Amino acid sequence: MKLKASLFSRRKFLNGLLAGGAGSLAASLLYPLLKSVIPPYREPDEVRVPLADYSALAPGEVKGFAWDIKPGFLKKKADGTLAAFVGVCTHLDCNVSYLPAKKKFFCACHEGWYDEEGRNISGPPPAPLRRLTVVLEGETIIIKKEAPE
Amino acid sequence: MNAGQWWTRFRSWLDDRLGWGAVLAFLRQKKVPQTRHTIWAYTGSAILLFFIIQVVTGIILAFYYRPTLEGANSSVARIMNEIPLGWAVRSIHSWSATFMIALVMVHLTSIWILKSYRRPREVTWMSGVLLLICTVAFGFTGYLLPWDDLSLAATKVGTDIPRAIPLVGNFFTKLLRGGEDVSGDTLTRFFGIHICVLPLALLAVLVVHIFLIQRLGMSLPLEAEIKKKPVKEIPFWPNFIFREMILWLFLLGILLSLAVFLPPGLGASADLRAPAPEGIKPEWYFLFLFQTLKIFPAHVLFMSGETLAVLFIMAGGLIFFFYPFLDTKPASAKGKVLTAIAWLFIAYALALSIWSLLD
Repeated sequence: MKLKASLFSRRKFLNGLLAGGAGSLAASLLYPLLKSVIPPYREPDEVRVPLADYSALAPGEVKGFAWDIKPGFLKKKADGTLAAFVGVCTHLDCNVSYLPAKKKFFCACHEGWYDEEGRNISGPPPAPLRRLTVVLEGETIIIKKEAPE
Repeated sequence: MNAGQWWTRFRSWLDDRLGWGAVLAFLRQKKVPQTRHTIWAYTGSAILLFFIIQVVTGIILAFYYRPTLEGANSSVARIMNEIPLGWAVRSIHSWSATFMIALVMVHLTSIWILKSYRRPREVTWMSGVLLLICTVAFGFTGYLLPWDDLSLAATKVGTDIPRAIPLVGNFFTKLLRGGEDVSGDTLTRFFGIHICVLPLALLAVLVVHIFLIQRLGMSLPLEAEIKKKPVKEIPFWPNFIFREMILWLFLLGILLSLAVFLPPGLGASADLRAPAPEGIKPEWYFLFLFQTLKIFPAHVLFMSGETLAVLFIMAGGLIFFFYPFLDTKPASAKGKVLTAIAWLFIAYALALSIWSLLD
């Protein structure tokens, strides 16, 4: 049977070809563009600080160190070993401070409190401060990115 | 041929090519309804005034500003201390931003309460919401650029909030920050967004917004729509324009006085590892959102309070964007419930802002 008029006109076909072609070109360019907008970042596997800087700490005392671009805290525990925390609030990423008088970590942005073990005790923080593993190697403290057991 | 004749001939030569006679003819016969609500019609052009000031002062600031970790704070200090009248340019830019956002709020509230978004002005409203988002984004990205403790903490919080959105949140946070954390890349990126992406986006939407206002004309207040009686009108040119000029001069006077006597300060250069300064608060237009985040508990049922708060805020934003499709009544219907909801929201925002200020 021969149709009197075409169901799909030449113009419609060309419109579809242009729209489909332009659309898929744009889509194929989108991926590399999106890929390039986020630079690579790798958290350090470990940070080394001299033990001498921290040997004077009394039990319960806390001193800061640089965990790459973030603040870190080293705390001397009652048994003389060291515990390490990343000093970044788990609520909205503000840097926390340690208040020795209260023996607590404090985030000033939304009044979040953590106890000296880094546990979230009051305010909006949903989780404890992130902990890092501390290893002593001669005169060097090595802080590793894994959480302690 | 004297100068006047030459000018006339030049204009008609140009008009033959551009065909702008039709636009001028339209503006000459354009009328603006004169009612007790006409005062709100002046807020739009006042916003435009402050936007123009932002563009001009922003270009001058960009001549000297350096968007890098090492250069940002010191280049702003140089603008304040060394560049002739640099302090005034920055102060005007900062105050004009505040004025622009305040007027955007007034503009939007008046349209919301007076229900001018109703058919056929739905798209005008939606383009307006996009302009609001651009304006607030200008404020947010600009706030980081001086790179002091306050601006760093505000940006850390602000860019961490999208993370609470399920599925796509992490990507958005990384996109905004240029990585997992706020760093020098964030600063450079915010500068690019502030001086390139947002101006282009805002101008594109603004063209649509202004075109639609001309095409559809000013909306009439509810009383006039109900009574169906003709409203008194005044010509756009010269009556309305001259009234606008009076307002512009008045606002310029206030702006310059504030800018001269209360220039913004500049803290010491931000340290990525320093604790957040105590008692930090965002700019006034974010206070009610800031306080909302603060009062949400850490956990609600199965999700974190933050996620719930962010989902609430996003749902609010979506409802706001599609508002004309929720209120589909004809222009002459009263809609008391929606008016009450609008007032309730305004009361909530004001109450939480004041609470946050006193806190």
